[in-house]
Amino acid sequence: MEHRNMIILALDALDQNLVDKYNCKNLMQAEHGQTDISGFSLPRTVVLWASFLTGKNMEAEIPLKTQWEFKLRPEETFLDFFANYMAIDVPAFSLKENSHAEERMLLKKYFDEQTSIEDYDSVIWRNHEENKRDFFDSLGRFDLVMAYFDLADAIGHLSFGISDKMSKVYEELEDIAGEVKSSTDDLTLVISDHGMKPVGRYGDHSENGFYSLSHGWRLNLPRLTDFYNLIKQKVCE
Amino acid sequence: MQQREKSDRNVEDYLSSLERKSISIIREAKAQFRNMAVLWSTGKDSTATLWLCRKAFFGRIPFPVIHIDTSYKFPQIYEFRDRIAKEWNLDLIIAKNEEALQNGMSPEKGKLDCCTKLKTEALKSLIKEEGFDALILAIRRDEHGIRAKERYFSPRDEEFHWRYTDQPAELWDLYVRPSEDFSHMRVHPILHWTELDVWQYVRRENLPMNPLYLAKNGMRYRSLGCMPCTVPIPSNASSIEEITEELKTTTIPERSGRAQDKERAYMMQKLRSLGYM
Repeated sequence: MEHRNMIILALDALDQNLVDKYNCKNLMQAEHGQTDISGFSLPRTVVLWASFLTGKNMEAEIPLKTQWEFKLRPEETFLDFFANYMAIDVPAFSLKENSHAEERMLLKKYFDEQTSIEDYDSVIWRNHEENKRDFFDSLGRFDLVMAYFDLADAIGHLSFGISDKMSKVYEELEDIAGEVKSSTDDLTLVISDHGMKPVGRYGDHSENGFYSLSHGWRLNLPRLTDFYNLIKQKVCE
Repeated sequence: MQQREKSDRNVEDYLSSLERKSISIIREAKAQFRNMAVLWSTGKDSTATLWLCRKAFFGRIPFPVIHIDTSYKFPQIYEFRDRIAKEWNLDLIIAKNEEALQNGMSPEKGKLDCCTKLKTEALKSLIKEEGFDALILAIRRDEHGIRAKERYFSPRDEEFHWRYTDQPAELWDLYVRPSEDFSHMRVHPILHWTELDVWQYVRRENLPMNPLYLAKNGMRYRSLGCMPCTVPIPSNASSIEEITEELKTTTIPERSGRAQDKERAYMMQKLRSLGYM
């Protein structure tokens, strides 16, 4: 039995190719690789995170139109395996609905030419900083801290083809992973729901998802849904 | 002089080979589908495609021609449409989302919503009403990167989703066969043409063209759409010959005058299909 505290950095759209390209050693940790999400017909954020949390493909249970309001009960997720946990802004569980509604509203306004990309980016970074504060405040106080950051996804959708911007995003996420690494020996899982691929200057979801572990589990192309049982067996039993 | 004649002959051979392939795709589609139609915006690409359809069936297009009317198009588009429809004896269907227009839909309400309501939904309901199982569209691979993944025969579901990661290769002249899990097939007979090819073909065949393409006072439209969302580009090309010459050296993207360029429109659709908007 292997029981230890755990940290999960849930990084939306963190892409394995860019982690390699920018040589993000802290994000790579001791073991890293690609996840398998081929069982999903569309790489939808809420569906993928709900599936990660429950160990089941939740595609059929989460309608597109109401996905952002969808909420799992703790006992449906691996969070319940932990005596006390903190889930920060986790889609399908503790999503900060207002922040994300604002981001989506600005995204739409951008395409309607009613707001600038700079205004959109500044809201994304503001929300990111808030999650970062919540995350570092929680470290050391819970058996499990799971924090969600949508920086790579939200910035990437409008600017994935602009390498200056994406390198800053990856630098920021690499710094967070570095700070975790230097401050704790807890088992750390870095995981993304999907990757990202360019559409001109924009970015679209790809199947190139990413995982890494601070302590090697020697996984080989794990499915996103495999982590439910892996966490249960390797961390909680 | 000899060199010039040789070069002209090469262009002729090249255009003829493009034309042959397009006609063969159109005929293949007609043989495969029982209820097909062709989309016609009245722009250069779709007008050239209509011409190819006429050639494929010896002068008369044996299926309906759909024009999606947002009611925000240039007057010259409506004039051109009505004149050519008459001259070419087209079975013209005009698709219009009257309900959305009555509810005040316009580009001021948001370009994304406007395009969705007045173009996509108008076409969706027409397909449903008429039961079309295939649509010919005049898209070209060189329009932008994402089009490079397109196929000549490209299935779409009821929501017009294109599963670009799950489509067979089209090797030699083997095109996708109709299967059960699609709503209609998109057929792209000029996918392999470039913008310059289209204009050279227009010139060779002496096709009628919307006058908005020709420069006036140093400006011309390079791509035609709705009036509030289309702007002209700086140009002095006031004839088809001058347009072909201009295209050989221009560095301005074809759809630079369109508010909703294809890449942007594609991304909007993707984000919508993922539930972001």
